[in-house]
Amino acid sequence: MSLEVMPPLMFGGLVLFLLIGFPVTFSLSAVGLFFGFVSIELGFFTPAYLGNLPLRVFGILANDLLLAIPFFTLMGAVLERCGLAEDLLEGTGQLFGKVPGGLAYAVIIVGAILGAITGTVAASVIAMGMISLPIMMRYGYDMRIATGVIAASGTITQVIPPSLVLIVLGDQLGKSVGDMYAGAIGPSFLQLLLFILFIVGVSIFAPHKVPPLPDEALTQKGWTLWWRVLKGMVPSVVLIFLVLGTIFMGLATPTEAGAMGAVGSVVLAMCNGRFTWDLLWQATQNTMRITAMVIFILIGATVFSLVFQGVDGSIWIEHLLAKLPGGATGFLIFSQVFIFFLAFFLDFFEIAFIVIPLLAPVAAKLGIDLVWFGVLICVNMQTSFMHPPFGFALFYLRGIAPKEVRSSDIYWGAIPWVALQLVLVAIVIFWPESVTYWLDKGTGVDPSTVRIEVPLPDLPEDDAPPVFR
Amino acid sequence: MGPLLAFSRAVDALNTAVGKLADWAVLLSCAISAGNAIVRYGVSYSSNAWLEVQWYLFGAIVMLGASYTLFRNEHVRVDLVYGNLGERARLWVDVFGFIFFMLPAMLLLAWMTWPFFVDSWVRHEGSPNAGGLLRWPVKLLLPVGFVLLCLQGFSELIKRIALLRGIHPTAEVVVEYHRPEQ
Amino acid sequence: EGALPEIRWRCASSFPKSLDTIYGAGEHVAKRVAALTDGKFQIRVFAAGEIVPGLAVADAVQGGTVEAAHTASYYFVGKDPTFAFDGAVPFGLNMRQLNAWLQAGGGREVLREFFEGYNMVSLPAGNTGAQMGGWFRKEIRTVADLDGLKFRIGGFAGNVLQKLGVVPQQIAGGDIYPALEKGTIDAAEWVGPYDDEKLGFNRVAPYYYYPGWWEGALNLSFYIAKPKWDELPQLYKDALESACRDSTIETMAKYDVQNPQALRRLAAAGTQLRAFPREVMQACYRATFELYEETAAKNANFKKVYDHWRAFRDSQYQWFRVAESTFDNFAYFMHAREQQRP
Ligand code: NA
Ligand code: NA
Repeated sequence: MSLEVMPPLMFGGLVLFLLIGFPVTFSLSAVGLFFGFVSIELGFFTPAYLGNLPLRVFGILANDLLLAIPFFTLMGAVLERCGLAEDLLEGTGQLFGKVPGGLAYAVIIVGAILGAITGTVAASVIAMGMISLPIMMRYGYDMRIATGVIAASGTITQVIPPSLVLIVLGDQLGKSVGDMYAGAIGPSFLQLLLFILFIVGVSIFAPHKVPPLPDEALTQKGWTLWWRVLKGMVPSVVLIFLVLGTIFMGLATPTEAGAMGAVGSVVLAMCNGRFTWDLLWQATQNTMRITAMVIFILIGATVFSLVFQGVDGSIWIEHLLAKLPGGATGFLIFSQVFIFFLAFFLDFFEIAFIVIPLLAPVAAKLGIDLVWFGVLICVNMQTSFMHPPFGFALFYLRGIAPKEVRSSDIYWGAIPWVALQLVLVAIVIFWPESVTYWLDKGTGVDPSTVRIEVPLPDLPEDDAPPVFR
Repeated sequence: MGPLLAFSRAVDALNTAVGKLADWAVLLSCAISAGNAIVRYGVSYSSNAWLEVQWYLFGAIVMLGASYTLFRNEHVRVDLVYGNLGERARLWVDVFGFIFFMLPAMLLLAWMTWPFFVDSWVRHEGSPNAGGLLRWPVKLLLPVGFVLLCLQGFSELIKRIALLRGIHPTAEVVVEYHRPEQ
Repeated sequence: EGALPEIRWRCASSFPKSLDTIYGAGEHVAKRVAALTDGKFQIRVFAAGEIVPGLAVADAVQGGTVEAAHTASYYFVGKDPTFAFDGAVPFGLNMRQLNAWLQAGGGREVLREFFEGYNMVSLPAGNTGAQMGGWFRKEIRTVADLDGLKFRIGGFAGNVLQKLGVVPQQIAGGDIYPALEKGTIDAAEWVGPYDDEKLGFNRVAPYYYYPGWWEGALNLSFYIAKPKWDELPQLYKDALESACRDSTIETMAKYDVQNPQALRRLAAAGTQLRAFPREVMQACYRATFELYEETAAKNANFKKVYDHWRAFRDSQYQWFRVAESTFDNFAYFMHAREQQRP
């Protein structure tokens, strides 16, 4: 057997192993090790190579950015348990009242707000799911619409700054985080618009899937309703301040802001008189198990990708890429299609590390703005979290959804949103200004006209001879 | 199966206790992180030790919490097929998975991470950052976590085999797979 | 004399591909080795994170899980501060002097035993020259301005600055930009204009300080697992040594071409260049040598290398003051004066 067949075999094996239904983390590591032993037998690498695993696992634990996951999960868990999140969503839902799809709009907006706070999809999807899924179920939303809108509104965090994906992409493309963040602003708004338009469409053509709140739920009217909405909003506004405001004040780093949010949610629960130690302890236990589950998926994935590197998976991908047609637009379309399909099998870390370094030089040569290209990939890779049945966002949602929610609902529910994300990819390809409009245009000073005068230490005027002793 | 089920109960109790440590690590890391920000802003003081202890605790959440999460059957699955199986078939999937997927991988990781810790221990490896922490405690979490996972894997395997043989284990066994308990 | 064997190695780099010059130094070694051995000795370089994280490459070579690594030795001062001498130490040697020490001045020999303790061989392979002092949100006018300054700076220099009241803050990589932008930290340092430009810190911190006295020159290292090195045929060892030397010349040349252009671009974008005041530099210099003495008193490895290094530095500084720096200073001075009076 030759080396070239290993990478596609590994992808095939991955699908097979995962479908068996044993926990994802152990299936990922098992498929990695299985092909690892095959590779050792066939002499593609030595057993010593697998010794890189501890270093990779340690690298995951030492990645401070992942700390945001427990912090935002704890925030979500506390908010859910003390009912403050429900107040916000219900309040907003009440406000939209008889409008079909009202709750879905609320979820999209809350998702965008959360997206402006968190940088990791796991944190956002989990928090969104815990807050919104029970309410949507209670008011009779179609299960597929409910899970889809939650997963999609959760993954939107990766396009809205701050974003771990944009950071990693900027690093790989040699572009500054600031540029990547600025470039992502336009597509974030476009995506929100697309999501909202989709719900508008659903409420017109299939209103029973996004029912308005029942009359008995619309208890308040007039000032009482506004008061209720306001009261529901206040805690969120305070939290947004705690998370975003402390970043803007220069008080906290984005990671620490997550912790501020979690502490803040506890304080809010206390202020509302809903705090109990039991509530905090329950939320903490929940957070611990979700964090362990999510990070172990990354640990399993790292076993897979180490072996994938060992069998020259990146060279295999490079050969596939060499077959892409030329021309800027052709390159863009086909590279995006390529990434879309790759994203079925690899998560964004792998794509960023394996594929981007291969694509970026080609893009640069074709005169494609790399920030635009990076944002485009970011939008596209959102789909990698949403692909049924292996998208990580769907795993996370599955992990927290009540058992009444069938997995097939989660999978089917994701499809329209993946399509919407692809529509956005197309828009960004054909309308580059949606990204570049927001970029820093610079001062307009021509570097060749710049004079840099560096003060010199004084030269002594009298030249004393050196002394030999 | 008696002694095996006793072993299983002991492992479950151990990992339940260890899981509590991981719970505390969540609260501590959160409090320390928020505290870091406030103290640095308020009195312009901070130290890399307090920054590093955050991800040490993160490591504790993950490595000490994973085995209890397994006990609660909360490691997420692709249940496209699994979700439609009957209970016995699911038990068989798990028995197969523990023997061929989970235990070999976790045993290997436990075995490989031990020397990684030992090297750090004997060399008193520190942080490359001014005022940072000694590295061995966080590196010790790796082999400890993987060994605990292996033990829990054996425990789950025993309980599932018992169920397949029609013995209802006195140990708690979570065969239902659903969201984390409220 | 039999046919030469086919050998394939993996080399884990500590750098991402986007740092084309510093990462390219490792690739350059691989290319030269292949060319010199008629393609029989192939080294494949993997960017940081592809096989192991960038800061884990020393562990990987030590454990023999990769055959080689390309890195900066001071990343591993947590294992032993002696590593720093192979990379850069504060107020150390400039590029010429460091190269002289490592290649011909006995530096490599004195470090050899130390690296054998980690089961590896280190060859100099690349250099950045003197680096910049980093990006500051506020001006540093006096030593007092260092007090409470929240500075993202790692390694040995962090320890020096801590003595002067600086708060070294090793916050997460992705947090640096927003934290610097909003003033959560006051300063961050990286490499020099060409690499710094890509991070865009100029957009969020106006003052660009020089010199990076903690890196008067940074030597990049090519680590090789000792057993793998011992197995190599002599011809391959020679090829690898030559390739690494070649890489040092190549990277230094590239940086010297790219940095002035990048600095002009940064200045055009509004960056304000600032020199660390002499008073501040003096305080840092004193704190540095205090720290060396303290460390040498505690660590025998460090003392052995430090003593050798210091003696070499003394002779180099004296020699460079005679012809090199007299020539440099005079030429720069005259040139600057001509430019001021057009
Ligand atoms: Na975000
Ligand atoms: Na530097």
